[in-house]
Amino acid sequence: MSLAIFRAMLLGLLRDRGALLMSFFLPAVFFVIMAEIFTATTGDSLNLKVAVLDEVESDASTRLLGALQDNGTLTMLPELGSSRDEVRAWVKSGVADIGLIIRADAEPLESAGGFGAAPLLVVVDPSRGVAEPMLTGQIRRAYFSSLPDVAMGNVVAELENQFLTLDDEQREEVDAGLIEMREDAAAGRDVGWSFEDLLARESVIGGESVNLVAYSAGAVAFMFLLFASVHGAVSLLEEEETGILDRVLAGPGGIGVLVNGKFLYVVGQGMVQVTVIFTVAWLVYGVDLPGHLGPWLVISLAASIACAGLAMLLATACATRRQAQTVANTVILVLSALGGSMVPRFLMPDVLKDLGWLTPNTWALEAYSGVFWRGESLLEVALPVALLAAAGILGWLAARMLAHRKAYGG
Amino acid sequence: MTPASELSGDAFLLDLNGIRKHLGGRRVLDNVSLSVSPGELVVLLGPNGAGKTTLLGTACGRIAPDAGDARLSGGNPRRDVGVRQSLGFVPQQVALYPYLSVRENLEVFGRMMGVAKEALNARIEEALAWSGLEDRVGDRVDTLSGGMQRRLNIVASVLHKPTLVMLDEPTVGVDVNARERIHELLRRLRADGLGILLTTHDLLQATTLADRVVFLVAGQVRLEGAPDELIHQVFGEHKEITITLAELPGSDQHQRLADAGLSPVHDGRTWTGSVDHGYDGVADWNHRLADMNLHAAEIRVREPSLEGVFLRLTGEALVL
Repeated sequence: MSLAIFRAMLLGLLRDRGALLMSFFLPAVFFVIMAEIFTATTGDSLNLKVAVLDEVESDASTRLLGALQDNGTLTMLPELGSSRDEVRAWVKSGVADIGLIIRADAEPLESAGGFGAAPLLVVVDPSRGVAEPMLTGQIRRAYFSSLPDVAMGNVVAELENQFLTLDDEQREEVDAGLIEMREDAAAGRDVGWSFEDLLARESVIGGESVNLVAYSAGAVAFMFLLFASVHGAVSLLEEEETGILDRVLAGPGGIGVLVNGKFLYVVGQGMVQVTVIFTVAWLVYGVDLPGHLGPWLVISLAASIACAGLAMLLATACATRRQAQTVANTVILVLSALGGSMVPRFLMPDVLKDLGWLTPNTWALEAYSGVFWRGESLLEVALPVALLAAAGILGWLAARMLAHRKAYGG
Repeated sequence: MTPASELSGDAFLLDLNGIRKHLGGRRVLDNVSLSVSPGELVVLLGPNGAGKTTLLGTACGRIAPDAGDARLSGGNPRRDVGVRQSLGFVPQQVALYPYLSVRENLEVFGRMMGVAKEALNARIEEALAWSGLEDRVGDRVDTLSGGMQRRLNIVASVLHKPTLVMLDEPTVGVDVNARERIHELLRRLRADGLGILLTTHDLLQATTLADRVVFLVAGQVRLEGAPDELIHQVFGEHKEITITLAELPGSDQHQRLADAGLSPVHDGRTWTGSVDHGYDGVADWNHRLADMNLHAAEIRVREPSLEGVFLRLTGEALVL
């Protein structure tokens, strides 16, 4: 008897293409995407794009950059320009993951002792926080393996500077230095020489912890916007099953009334949903929502329109509610994985990063991150916003066409 | 309920002429003509797959016929969207939002059907009183009985005061009392001058309600007319007799039954015809069967039915 049930279940699965897709194909696709991302994250294949500016162009700086170039995990972008602002701009816009400036107005790389400005300035975007330890790690490796003479020279210079005093005058200097170091240590200040003296850090934007919350707010909001939109849109199929569609189709408004009404509802629902998520981000995590209210409103409206349009298209393209839910789960999970709603896009290999540009998730994240992290104006994020709105409106128009064809036979 | 527009006395609210339709390579409608006048209740009878739903779809403009002409209130329901305002369609399912109250459903469907916001409340009050649902106005639809849901299903389709109402199996799954209340609603709509076209499997419903019945079988109109006239035409003043035999007749017995004026139904164990001695025909036929060496499991004499009419006029059993 149990085998009979087993057989019925098996036949049901085999004859339900949607369920088959969900059960076997989707997990495989999803696994491939996530495996690619995590392999790239934890292995050597995560390729950081580094914007470099060498203001010194000394033997040591050239050798350091050469060693970094050779190690395979970094892509040193071609010289981007001659100014620090250009490096900052490239990092801020995301063209480069991180920036490295070898400064002329600092201690020389060969004799950095922590008494002046550090020669290496790392320019970071907090939304890609993992890039910083990766780059500094690579610099450390390159520094000690490729520039041992420079490293040792610094140590010797340090010894000579502070400890090898033979005459009285030198002794007094050492004593004074030691007293000073003791005082520094007592006061909690860094003392002595270390690799870190070579490095300084600069963020292209302020309020780093808030930025990361803003990223997750945008990412989570858009993914759930997609789910909620599909849930709202598939009620169209429910109405087909319950006969409500028949009643409406016989009336003067026809199918357009239903599709338009649902589209408006789903857009409104999306706006409320995004508002709730960003309000929590504002009240609990201090994301500056009031400061970006106008652009946020426009981006959220465009994102809601995109989700509503795509959801309506999906609902009208599918024959049954079950099929629509199955396809929607597949599409949303893949879009969200590729588009950066689950794992930050920065962690993805280039292929997936490029594919991400085909997803509305990426457009929404680019628009939100432009405004909330990079402090860009609405005009500067006009392209992703326009893409979102266009996708939504095209989806809505296509849904109307499909629904009309289904209802009236073309 | 008063119709929204006045039509001239002889104008058809629905006029289908020579409708043909193929779906998936199968001929679904074959030269079907059908009309409904104001104040007329037409019942479309036919087995599953006869083409009733396709015909309704054509009538309300959802389905484009391959050939023929469909007119709704004088206009083409596919091209002239405005003429669909004159139609109220009641689907076979309870096409209501179960999680909304009676009033909320009426508000939604009234607006969807183009009732002006200012007029809506008055229409709803009128409809609630008319349908006997005023006591349940605030209740969710899923708490109503099946019969009440069916009544509300009809009310939701006539709020905009159409001139023609089409109902697809309006009494499926309801008990006798609820069905009678629905019949009463339909009679009132007819009395108000609305044209009504309904499909049903229920021959008794057709007989008691219809001004005219249309038998649709395999996409063709096989028989059409007023139930009383059709019955009188076939049976005259006679009663209808149905004999169910205890065993299948042999070929000789088959012939003798046919010669005696009976027609076989289904598998040949059941035969039907007319008797001119009223209920005394039972005893008479009992003797005649004995002469044929046949035994009756049941002999039933009754007032003639549309089923018998169909059988006698077409030579086919009507399987609904």
